[in-house]
Amino acid sequence: METSDSQSFEPKEKTQPIAIQPNQQQQNNFWVVFSSTFITIFLAEMGDKTQLVTLLMSAESQAPWVVFTGAALALIATSLIGVSIGYWLSKKLSPETLDLSVAILLLIITTWLVSDVLSL
Amino acid sequence: MDWQLVGISFITVFLAEIGDKSQLAAIALGGSSNNPRAVFIGSTIALILASFLGVLAGGAVAQFLPEKLLKSLAAIGFATMALRILWVGGESED
Repeated sequence: METSDSQSFEPKEKTQPIAIQPNQQQQNNFWVVFSSTFITIFLAEMGDKTQLVTLLMSAESQAPWVVFTGAALALIATSLIGVSIGYWLSKKLSPETLDLSVAILLLIITTWLVSDVLSL
Repeated sequence: MDWQLVGISFITVFLAEIGDKSQLAAIALGGSSNNPRAVFIGSTIALILASFLGVLAGGAVAQFLPEKLLKSLAAIGFATMALRILWVGGESED
């Protein structure tokens, strides 16, 4: 049974690598994009305003998880709005303009973080 | 569940985050990447984890976190992404 199975799969296997490649590439791309986004934003947000607000509100209210729920919903909403704006802009702008504006935006964030570090 | 408190914390954090660094980052990364869903999930989990740690740690966060170091690393990360886009033309080419 097993041998006949593997035999019947053999012809398929020859075509599979070609079929799998784009899918796998997309998956790799997902994790690259996910982890670079996660790491940079996480590092930038640690000790930042929002975290302090959440912290103070939860300490004051005696109901930290209620505050956390509200904060988490707000963060989901602002991320969704941000990514949607970016996605929408990427459809409107030419690739060159898009690359340049993304680079400028990222450098603005860099400057912002550097000025945060210097004022600490 | 105290819905009023949920609402208050939602509005406070929402207003604090609109136009803030991480939302700008979400705009930039969501626009430049060909996988905006990964950007959305990555940024959401990062933000929620950061505020989760905020709630967990109470007032002690500032004492054990080298905020300067973390933000410097983040600055390097964003600068690297910016330079890579300027250098190689970003991911939007394909």
